[in-house]
Amino acid sequence: MPSSLLVTSLVNTIQIGSLYALMALGLTLTFSVIKLPNFAHAEYVTAGAYAALIISLAGVLNPLIIIAVAFLVGALTAVVSHLIVFKPLERQNVSLYTLILASFAVGLIIRYILFTIADYFNIFDLRIAIPLQILFRTGSLILTNLFAWVAPTSIVLVILLTLLINRTALGREMRALANNTILARVIGIPVERVKNYTWLLVGGMAGVAGALWGLQSAVSPLMGWAAIISVFAAAILGGLSSFPGTILGAYVVAFSENTIMLFLNFSYGVDLAYKPAIPFIIIIAVLLIRPQGLTQLLKRAGELGR
Amino acid sequence: MINIDLGATAISVLTLFGIYALMSISLNLEYGVAGVPNFGQALFVSIGAYVAGVTYTRLLPLLAGMESVHPCGPTMGQALQLRSEIMATQPVAGFINLALTLVIAAILSGAVGFAVSYVTLRLKEEWFLALVLLVGGETVRIVVRGADDLICSHNGISSVAQPFYFLDDVQMSSILFMLLALALALIAYLYSQRLTHSPYGRMLKGLRENEEVTRGLGKGISLARAQIMLIGSAIAAIGGVLFALNTGFVNTNDYVVTLTLDVWVMVVLGGIGNNRGALLGAALIAIMDRVTQVAAIALNMSGSPIEFNYVRFIAFGIILLLMLRYRPAGLLPESRLTTIAHETAKRLTPGKTI
Repeated sequence: MPSSLLVTSLVNTIQIGSLYALMALGLTLTFSVIKLPNFAHAEYVTAGAYAALIISLAGVLNPLIIIAVAFLVGALTAVVSHLIVFKPLERQNVSLYTLILASFAVGLIIRYILFTIADYFNIFDLRIAIPLQILFRTGSLILTNLFAWVAPTSIVLVILLTLLINRTALGREMRALANNTILARVIGIPVERVKNYTWLLVGGMAGVAGALWGLQSAVSPLMGWAAIISVFAAAILGGLSSFPGTILGAYVVAFSENTIMLFLNFSYGVDLAYKPAIPFIIIIAVLLIRPQGLTQLLKRAGELGR
Repeated sequence: MINIDLGATAISVLTLFGIYALMSISLNLEYGVAGVPNFGQALFVSIGAYVAGVTYTRLLPLLAGMESVHPCGPTMGQALQLRSEIMATQPVAGFINLALTLVIAAILSGAVGFAVSYVTLRLKEEWFLALVLLVGGETVRIVVRGADDLICSHNGISSVAQPFYFLDDVQMSSILFMLLALALALIAYLYSQRLTHSPYGRMLKGLRENEEVTRGLGKGISLARAQIMLIGSAIAAIGGVLFALNTGFVNTNDYVVTLTLDVWVMVVLGGIGNNRGALLGAALIAIMDRVTQVAAIALNMSGSPIEFNYVRFIAFGIILLLMLRYRPAGLLPESRLTTIAHETAKRLTPGKTI
């Protein structure tokens, strides 16, 4: 496989891996704090992307404002879905399957509301068109300011979120909730407030991921849904509990989808149409062989380094 | 306004009801009775459809005593003509082919269901089974779509004719197909009623309510779970065969997660754990499907800016949420178990509630 393609695919891996990390961390956070495998997570991404697209079409082309709006819309969608659907269901002590089913229903509703909006304004498959600049060029590899926006923004956000979880009072409360909800309640942690903040953060990050996604490729009502299995694969590689594991998982999934897929295509003639099967294979393999994900491996590596 | 042919509408709704009923009965046995969260219903339905796609292109010409033509690529048109011709002129070959398709589909899908449930015994958390089934369904879909030869990748197989296609009277042939679908649904319903109300069915409900207790009572729960997946998957695949025959197409795009969700809506709407509820859910969804279709066409023709086909999905999501929130037991809640012992006790001690 030619080296120029290899480099391009690695750049893609970094870019898409960072976006996956942003989304998968939200999923991990929802699963550990709220105890919900949220299949509607993808739709917060799409909602953020459409909010970003709509204000960019309205003439706002400053990426920072676009990202901020996407954060707000994503957060709003997530908090509303929590308040209207998930919170009342949790109160009724329903089974986990009911919650999963409800998350599918929420996803379906948001997705087709976005379809209706997109259809009404006829805004399918458009990119958020911020002015392009070429920053760096060597051979066939061209890095534009898009790359400078997408990867660093995601990485900065991932770092900020990690700091928030590990260093702040809110983060400590979230970790307490993740560990034992009943105990957290008993020692006086304002559980409902912490949950609201969690949804806000999760939705906001998903919204930003959507806006960044829309900078590099077309926005469509199905974009989030199309990525959700990859994001789940990343979160499951992190054992659905560990942040470093999830981040590593995100890059592993992106690497398999881009670089390894291209390699298989070049060397063994595997059709690129099979690309969506990769995260599926990862999920099934991890769940069957290492349900704890990469967490133990990371821990062991950390112990060796000490 | 558009004219609606009431007779034809009734036939199509009833046919759809029969097909949906097979799917919802299958999910109700798996989730409603035994508590196995099958989020891969689309997978088992699709197995039936893919089997039909293969048999109607490969097996049918052989049964009619002709050479089979490769259905994809340059000979696509020729193969299509061949199978339409056989279905129009040789009904016996068509019927044998349908019977074999149903049997193969049921066996294959049942085997997959059995195997999946055994493999997933290794899973750490129970809901991973839901994820594995969901993901497995999508994987199979992508692999089938990627394979050029099986059902012609993304082109699919068209003109998979209904078994009564040979009749000149189109309405008669669709009525007969409707009766076939309803008959199969009825058999599935009677079978699942018997199963649910047998001692075995009570054991499955025990498994649903409390795995440890059921295990403690000496029941083999892994085997029971695998068995119910086998039965449920086989019924779903039969629904899949009819689904493909009804639309006339076998295309991977039809067997996405939304189909799985549709079946879940039927079961949750009708009543989880109640076979009659599954029938009611299937009937309501079949009617709603038809109504939204007609409404979408009517609205499009009147120049409405809103695409009604999207509203259908929003409505389904809202129905599902409302049911889960306000009527989690469904429209027809599960009835109390009655056994012969119950009835005898009731007869011997009149006036007392047992």
